[in-house]
Amino acid sequence: MSDAIKTSGLWYRAGPEFELHDVSMSVPAGSVYGFLGPNGSGKTTTIRLLLGLHRVDRGDISLLDREVPKAMPEILQRTGYVPERPHLYPSLTVSEAVRYHGAFYEKWDESWTDELFDRFSLPPNQRVGKLSKGETGKLLMALALAQRPELLVLDEPTEGLDPVVRRDIMSALLDYVSEQGATVLISSHLVHELERFCNWVGLMDQGRLISELPMEQFKNGIKRLRIIDPPNHYDDSPFEILLREPVNGGVPGEMILVQGWHADMAEYFGGVGASLREVVDLDLEDGFVEMLRAFRVQATEG
Amino acid sequence: MFDRIDPRSPTPLYEQIAGRIRVAVAAGELTEGHHLPSVRQLAATLRVNPATVVQAYRELEREGFVELKHGAGTFVRGISEERKKGERIRGAAELVQEMLSEAARLGVDGQDLRTALDRELGSVSHE
Repeated sequence: MSDAIKTSGLWYRAGPEFELHDVSMSVPAGSVYGFLGPNGSGKTTTIRLLLGLHRVDRGDISLLDREVPKAMPEILQRTGYVPERPHLYPSLTVSEAVRYHGAFYEKWDESWTDELFDRFSLPPNQRVGKLSKGETGKLLMALALAQRPELLVLDEPTEGLDPVVRRDIMSALLDYVSEQGATVLISSHLVHELERFCNWVGLMDQGRLISELPMEQFKNGIKRLRIIDPPNHYDDSPFEILLREPVNGGVPGEMILVQGWHADMAEYFGGVGASLREVVDLDLEDGFVEMLRAFRVQATEG
Repeated sequence: MFDRIDPRSPTPLYEQIAGRIRVAVAAGELTEGHHLPSVRQLAATLRVNPATVVQAYRELEREGFVELKHGAGTFVRGISEERKKGERIRGAAELVQEMLSEAARLGVDGQDLRTALDRELGSVSHE
């Protein structure tokens, strides 16, 4: 298995205003894949399609080398899921919720489950509906890990939680990943958090997957460059130009946003009569915002 | 020791982690036989991908700074004084590279830098 998740040419109309448009994503086995995108970009819809909670209009999905939705029962045995909104019965106690949830899994491991619940110090007799937001977040993560999944699909697992709880949840997740070598797909708005541990990035906007790259290529290959004496056309450039715009504040030259950049490519500018004055590094958040901006400019220009 | 790991920096995280350990060894802060945290521990503590820690440890092993003993963990190796000096020189070169790229960004040329550096170093040695 080279990809734990693979979709090709996914189309899905979710309403008159929104459609997933030809989404082909590949989440390599063993990777921690950060799934980024603004609200309403289609991340949750994509995740729900992956888990067979919606049916695609067109396209193919496979998880753990099994076809969705045909092999769904097997896939779900091997896949842990933290949904965007809690899906537990509020009137059950924590330990009842655990037993109820565990009953669906053949390989449910009691002692490992106890260990996880101790680690998160979850009160066994508390009703799920009475848990704090942080405890609910921990409960959802604990349930997803308790089934010892090969794949974890996490839809904003730390959304709205305080930093202490967030760290506890993420440490437990990474501990599990170290131990089991599981694959993780995680969507979050906390970009700096993803920047620490994801090694792949997929970026969605307006129902399309606009970029999918290893983290290192995303961070080191996407740069803003300040160019003096820019040519009319950057012919045969070894990198891809996503955006051209004047420099702010009346400074001469132009800024270009490039993808696939490498320091060796600086020589190229001399050949087109221009000079490279500045290379601006972008962190994941900057890169994310710049990629969206470029995508939207290109979309409006047709 | 890892307090200043910066996930936003363009320097890859594995390189930052390896760099911290290298500096600590060169400075004598970590001595021969010191048992480094396990991959699992360090990944969970720093909230980084375990693969990142593995990559850092492998790089340090390749360079001879640590030894990976199967089943026992990762240990700091003894480093010669000469090697430690080499590391300090390498650290200095990195600082200068950072300074040069910042200078290029601001449009400060090499001559101005040299003058400023001589003056600053001079004021340090006269003190």
